[in-house]
Amino acid sequence: MKNILSKLIFVPLVVAGMSTFVNANSYPEGPVKIIVPYSAGGGSDSVSRALAEAIKTDFPDGIAVENRTGGAGSIGMSYGMRAEPNGSIVTMVAPELVMLPHSGNGGDIDYKQFIPLAIVNSGYAAITVPADSAYKSLEDLLVDAKSNNLLFGNSGTGSIWHLAGAGMQQAASVEFTHVPYKGSSAAITALLGRHLDAVSVSYAEVANQVDAGALRTLAVLAPNRLVDAPNVPTATELGYDVVIGTWRGYTVPVGTPPATVTYLTDAILKAVETDTFVEFMKNTNNDIEIIESEEFANKLKREDEFYKGLISSLGLSQ
Amino acid sequence: MLVEALNLVLQPSVLLFIILGVAGGMCIGCLPGLTTTMGVALVLPLTFGMDATQSILLLIGVYVGAVYGGSMSAILLNTPGTPASAATALDGYQMAKRGEAGRALGIATTSSFLGGVISCIFLILISPVLAKFALKFSAPEFFMLAMFGLCIISSISGKSMLIGLLSGTFGILIATIGIDDITGSMRFTFNNMNLFSGISFIPVMIGLFAMSQAFVGIEDIFVKSQTTKKLSHVFPKREDWGLIVKNSIGFGSLGAFVGSIPGVGADIASFIAYGQAKSMSKHPEKFGTGLPEAISAPEAANNGVTGGALIPMLTLGVPGDAVAAIMIGALTVQGLQPGPLLFQNDAPVVYAIFIGLLLANICMLVLGLNSVRLFTKVLSVPKQILVPIIFLLCFVGSYALANNVFDVIVMLVFGVIGYFFHKLEVSASPAILGLILGPMAESNFRRALLMARGDYLTFLSTGICWTFFVLILVSLLWPFAQKQWLKRKHA
Repeated sequence: MKNILSKLIFVPLVVAGMSTFVNANSYPEGPVKIIVPYSAGGGSDSVSRALAEAIKTDFPDGIAVENRTGGAGSIGMSYGMRAEPNGSIVTMVAPELVMLPHSGNGGDIDYKQFIPLAIVNSGYAAITVPADSAYKSLEDLLVDAKSNNLLFGNSGTGSIWHLAGAGMQQAASVEFTHVPYKGSSAAITALLGRHLDAVSVSYAEVANQVDAGALRTLAVLAPNRLVDAPNVPTATELGYDVVIGTWRGYTVPVGTPPATVTYLTDAILKAVETDTFVEFMKNTNNDIEIIESEEFANKLKREDEFYKGLISSLGLSQ
Repeated sequence: MLVEALNLVLQPSVLLFIILGVAGGMCIGCLPGLTTTMGVALVLPLTFGMDATQSILLLIGVYVGAVYGGSMSAILLNTPGTPASAATALDGYQMAKRGEAGRALGIATTSSFLGGVISCIFLILISPVLAKFALKFSAPEFFMLAMFGLCIISSISGKSMLIGLLSGTFGILIATIGIDDITGSMRFTFNNMNLFSGISFIPVMIGLFAMSQAFVGIEDIFVKSQTTKKLSHVFPKREDWGLIVKNSIGFGSLGAFVGSIPGVGADIASFIAYGQAKSMSKHPEKFGTGLPEAISAPEAANNGVTGGALIPMLTLGVPGDAVAAIMIGALTVQGLQPGPLLFQNDAPVVYAIFIGLLLANICMLVLGLNSVRLFTKVLSVPKQILVPIIFLLCFVGSYALANNVFDVIVMLVFGVIGYFFHKLEVSASPAILGLILGPMAESNFRRALLMARGDYLTFLSTGICWTFFVLILVSLLWPFAQKQWLKRKHA
């Protein structure tokens, strides 16, 4: 009798204990949200939705994208940074994470508060001119820039493509007049109308017009030549040490259990290999570039330093 | 291209959205107090999950349906459902009082349809040409265009020019909040992260146009709606057709032209058309007694605006009226940037819009002629049911935009502001256009100076600039000239 009684007490205790033990390792439990700090329908949103689609087999309770927009991405990133560190919220981050704080408009966002999982996609700046421009090479443009004040269009003051133009001028020791537009496509429109000398937005954004013969890209600010544009030299090849581009990576808040971090990282790395994801990225002019967590962390640290210097040299820091 | 566009439009889901949009628009339009802008603003958040074609065609459906729907209550109740059908009420109600409500509705429906089709033809013919031409627009030209838009709204909207100007200025001031486009410095953000990128204008619109009307609706929530009259012979008789076609072509074109001017919408077009029809008539003294041409002219003109308003929106990214401004928001949410590049990068979507607008007009004709009785039933939905639905849609709609509670607060604040605007008889449309055209004028002003290295003559450096300069002068001097002319006439 005593035996039975002790079993009656003991067994449930063990079961209860085991189930807590199992719980700690049973991530994912419950639905997971990917916070995208940019609006629905944009590039960041569609890449994240494609990733969510490719990754969903690993998340039986579902994984969905939620857009939290505003403040050039700072609102969504801040929301994700302050989320419960249990893996239920994954945040998409972009270079703005290490840019906005230096120009004083990042709110409370801090890259050190995130554990980087992986970068899946990148897009590099391209120095692009109208097809009938006199500049046939980057050299032509930079030589002319020494004596003339060239109009360089970008996607907004303090935006990544503004910094790309600024990075180019710094590397070549020249000075451009940076003309900010609201978004890349407005700058490209102005270039097509021949109101600007060049733009420094991403290659993906000018690719259609370059293919159509309306624009010409002189150089890309990428570490290697782009798969989509094998004939366009990199600035580094031409002797200007400047690599600037955007990227999309996924993170969780600091404090997330290591097992969860590993689970998420593995799931992302597996998902980006799937045919559907690869196909999607190809169709939407997005280049896949996988950077795993350790290198991702180094990249954040490096770019944080780089943008700090560049932004303060432009007089944009506040 | 055409095949691709047809592929986009001729899908069951897209067609369904057009039909639902037109039907929903007619319901919204015929209810006094619910304006076209409000209807489109309320439907907008529902489109975030759709693809670009579905989204924009649903909104176009609502737009077309609502502009037309206003005439039903104007004719039956002498209460225009939307300001755009106020002119229709003048003669439409008189005709209905004579027991010819069906005839009045028939004339309004067919004229709206033909006016809409005419404007659609204008859109299809003009916008691709204008899109190519629009590449010539640089910062100085855009500045002059925005100034022209601002001059127009201030001089003709609302009862008093001063109030119109104040409303527009209010919009411009709201738009200065956020990070400055050119230098990147903060303006009026009070270190609140939600204000860094400015106040997004969709919650402002939902607040000003929809929430404010819901507040107004509470005031007489227990007042019973009027009952509707009996209807017969909605399809126009043979003797009316000649007049309908003649008026529709003329005033539909007029509407398309008026609609394409930034800042001027369907309400103004219909009054201009009524005035024109009267001055051209052989018996102007009979206007106001229920003349068929007095119904046909404003109805053709107000639906003529629909296609016209889309012309500057698609080609230049400048809204032709407040509804087109919301559509810019809808396209941007879809990742499409209205402007000359839209015609190159997303041509199928542009052509899908053309086809969709035509289909929406056909849909409006069919629904209008066959189910007027059904739609007029909407007029008897009690406010106790209607007002809470609007409240719900306002809250859900403003939250859905960015999943941010701050936007709901913005919507509520502007709902209260809109309520007082209503009480003080201040038109909210100049505020919205100020909100959109103000930043456009400012950033292009500074961009132009940046590009011209500080030379102010850049604003008069091209023919386009001079054209707008002359138009600005004309629009500023017009009210004074008109006054002088009237004085001399009476003297």
